[in-house]
Amino acid sequence: MLKLIGSLLVLLVSSYIGFNMASRCQERPRQLRQIITCVGSLRSHIIYSCLPLHEAIANSTNGIYGPVAEFFQQVANSLEKNASLTPQEIIKKVLSEMEGSLILKRPEIEVLYVLGGNLGVMNCKEQEKYLSLVIEQLERFENEATRLRDLNTKMYRYLGICGGLAIVIILV
Amino acid sequence: MGLDILFKIAGVGILVSVFHTALKQAGKEDMAHLCTLAGFTVVLLWVVQLLGKLFNTVQDVFKLF
Repeated sequence: MLKLIGSLLVLLVSSYIGFNMASRCQERPRQLRQIITCVGSLRSHIIYSCLPLHEAIANSTNGIYGPVAEFFQQVANSLEKNASLTPQEIIKKVLSEMEGSLILKRPEIEVLYVLGGNLGVMNCKEQEKYLSLVIEQLERFENEATRLRDLNTKMYRYLGICGGLAIVIILV
Repeated sequence: MGLDILFKIAGVGILVSVFHTALKQAGKEDMAHLCTLAGFTVVLLWVVQLLGKLFNTVQDVFKLF
């Protein structure tokens, strides 16, 4: 009886881990897409409405929900409150605060840092060029993430369930 | 001893084949081979113990010392 309960628990936990990793895998391209939307909208806000940076960032999240919207909102709030910090420092701080909910890897985080370093230090035209470049880079990452999602989602599920079964068979 | 070890080995075999297919589909062929090797090793550990028992029995039966 005890063995049965133990093996069921092992099976449940390993399946949970597998499904969790699969969902993280699915979440990443979605978040990248949202970031691209936000940066595109930020570009429009900078070029056409010429808003101050924190307002432009806050407005760029319109219609987007979830961790990405929260990230941009927090950046906007901190920009408004701490005038002494540069956008890069603020993005760094917010990224480290939201490490758990934003599923981003090293290259995307680097692009976001560099984005912070170049925000608000050039004129509109240069910013437009630069933001287009950032969007292009992020789109490349998104394609890569989509490819990885298609490959890995199923694998993580199978591995989770079968790994649990293997542990149960080996231990019992 | 009994039939349960046979069923265990069969179960590991089925699972390893599923692992292999899943990993191969995801493009991780090296991991798939590693997985097969790991399964093989685990089964070999069980079988080696049984073989040791078998040899001991043979020694006992024929009084080979």
